[in-house]
Amino acid sequence: MFENIIKQLLQGEFICEISDESAFQFLQDAGQANTVDEFLSRLGYRLAKTQNELAFYAAYQHIDHSARTDIRKTFQQFRIELYPVVEWLDMMMACLNQDNSLSPGDTLSFSSLMQAIEQNQALADRLLSFAKFKDFASSDDSIKARLEKLLSMLNKWGYLKLANRDMLIYQVTGKLDYFYHALQFIQEHEQISIEQAEDDVIQESLL
Amino acid sequence: MSQAAAGIDRLFKALANHSELIAEAYLQGVVYQDIDNQRALNQLRQLKVLVKHNEDSYRVSGRLSQFIDHALSSDRVRRLDTDLASWIETLEQQISLYQDAWNENRQDDCDNYFAEIERLVFDLADTLEENTRYLLMLVNSRFANVRTVAEKQKQNAFYISRLEKLVNAISSLQPEFLLEIVEEQPIVYELLEQHLIRLLPKYQQRLQDILDKLKVFLFELRQIEMRAQLVQGFAFFLRQNPGYQTRDWSEADSIPEIWNQIRPLQLQAYADPLDHALEDELIEIAQKIKTDSEALLAKQKNRSINVVTLASQEKQQLDIPLYRKQLRIFLQYVRSNSNKTISALAFKQAFVANIEPDIWLACVLNECLRRSNQNLQMELRHREQENVFNGNQKITDILLRHRSTQP
Repeated sequence: MFENIIKQLLQGEFICEISDESAFQFLQDAGQANTVDEFLSRLGYRLAKTQNELAFYAAYQHIDHSARTDIRKTFQQFRIELYPVVEWLDMMMACLNQDNSLSPGDTLSFSSLMQAIEQNQALADRLLSFAKFKDFASSDDSIKARLEKLLSMLNKWGYLKLANRDMLIYQVTGKLDYFYHALQFIQEHEQISIEQAEDDVIQESLL
Repeated sequence: MSQAAAGIDRLFKALANHSELIAEAYLQGVVYQDIDNQRALNQLRQLKVLVKHNEDSYRVSGRLSQFIDHALSSDRVRRLDTDLASWIETLEQQISLYQDAWNENRQDDCDNYFAEIERLVFDLADTLEENTRYLLMLVNSRFANVRTVAEKQKQNAFYISRLEKLVNAISSLQPEFLLEIVEEQPIVYELLEQHLIRLLPKYQQRLQDILDKLKVFLFELRQIEMRAQLVQGFAFFLRQNPGYQTRDWSEADSIPEIWNQIRPLQLQAYADPLDHALEDELIEIAQKIKTDSEALLAKQKNRSINVVTLASQEKQQLDIPLYRKQLRIFLQYVRSNSNKTISALAFKQAFVANIEPDIWLACVLNECLRRSNQNLQMELRHREQENVFNGNQKITDILLRHRSTQP
């Protein structure tokens, strides 16, 4: 287990309940997490958690020149993912007809999504518009092929995990917790106005 | 027969088969366990017809008792759906009536009021037990799977109102006050203490658990709501600003913690062919490798044909390398001194310049191994072993001896 976790972390993966349940349980034990952290510290890394502690990943112990170069490359990848992932999350709210966005652990059924998109031209157009992103280009313009491309790319980026290969059921991973936190950080620090959406979703205090 | 129909059938049969036991529990308030009825009582308990009264006794469950009251138009009929707090009020009234009858020595009334108090206490205990357990179960199941925030809000309001009712009921019980007023009636005191007051901490703990979970849920609900706003807002922003690029936070003087994430490493390991433990596995893998490998299948390039000219090519004579010249001299020297042992290192120090001792020894060793069929005897001088298990043997000198074939 230890070896497997170290390998996953060094390969930049997020370990959550969905991606690897037993590894996640292992890391939730403070003693075991310490042993992993100690091992990583020998390599100049450390064990980090997402905001809501839904996933573990590896971070640098100290950000020196070499670490900065590496972080720059990881950040460039986040920049690439930002547009399509936001668009996907927004589209899923419309597809699933729900006013809350996806959370780690949520499931997405390929056939249900397909059905929803086929019955709604606006959604079909949105799906086609993913082709403007570099990694989502496809020679096949059919809805099925586009949706396959979208989900497989998100699977590759680690936001989804194929939970059932036969039924094509995907599950949202804990990496999304990191993404939301990053989005919140950008919104707060770059003063991006999200007022337009606030009019749409009104929530009163519950207690 | 469907599963539900089979369940009903089993329940009705149990009611019919054990009607005497149930009637006794209803009329007497309690039925005691013995060897004969043990199995039947256990079955009725599993079907929630009876509940444990004491270690060795059972009583009719609150719900069934109320049903029987209704069915028999008993004066004990009460409305179940009223606020639980009103039950406490009724309980206090019944205790007061019991005390009046007690003071006036009206034994029959005393018995009736006591039965009434008993029933109320059991009903209340059952209701608290069922409600707290049911609510906890619902809360643990994460409020079912609803799609919209509005639905979640409704659910939340529902659970909070149920929780409030239960909290009110337990708060209005005032256990010390109840026990104080029945101090002089030990039988009522014991009933209240044993079947209601003693159980209160358990229900309070359940309510606390429910409250803790509701707090977490409320936090999550707010987070979900906040995330939805964030996603929709960002999506809108990106549509309005298609050329937007987020600031390069990796260039900041101090990189914010959120961006501190390692660059994925590519891990790769090779099998060690010298590891004999892996030999079988490696052979198996090697056998699976198809012989028509990529290298063989690769399209062969057309080779260009060299131009042939009739002009005679200039011949070049290559000089023999220095080390080979020296080696030849050394081997001649060894042969000329047959049956004498000659040190390669000593020869080098005496006659060979411009070659490092290590390289010289390597050249001699290589040459001797190559000429293994000749009459050369080779003896290697090893350095003392520093690390026995590192697999290397360090040679400090090579001693050569030429065996003369002449007698």
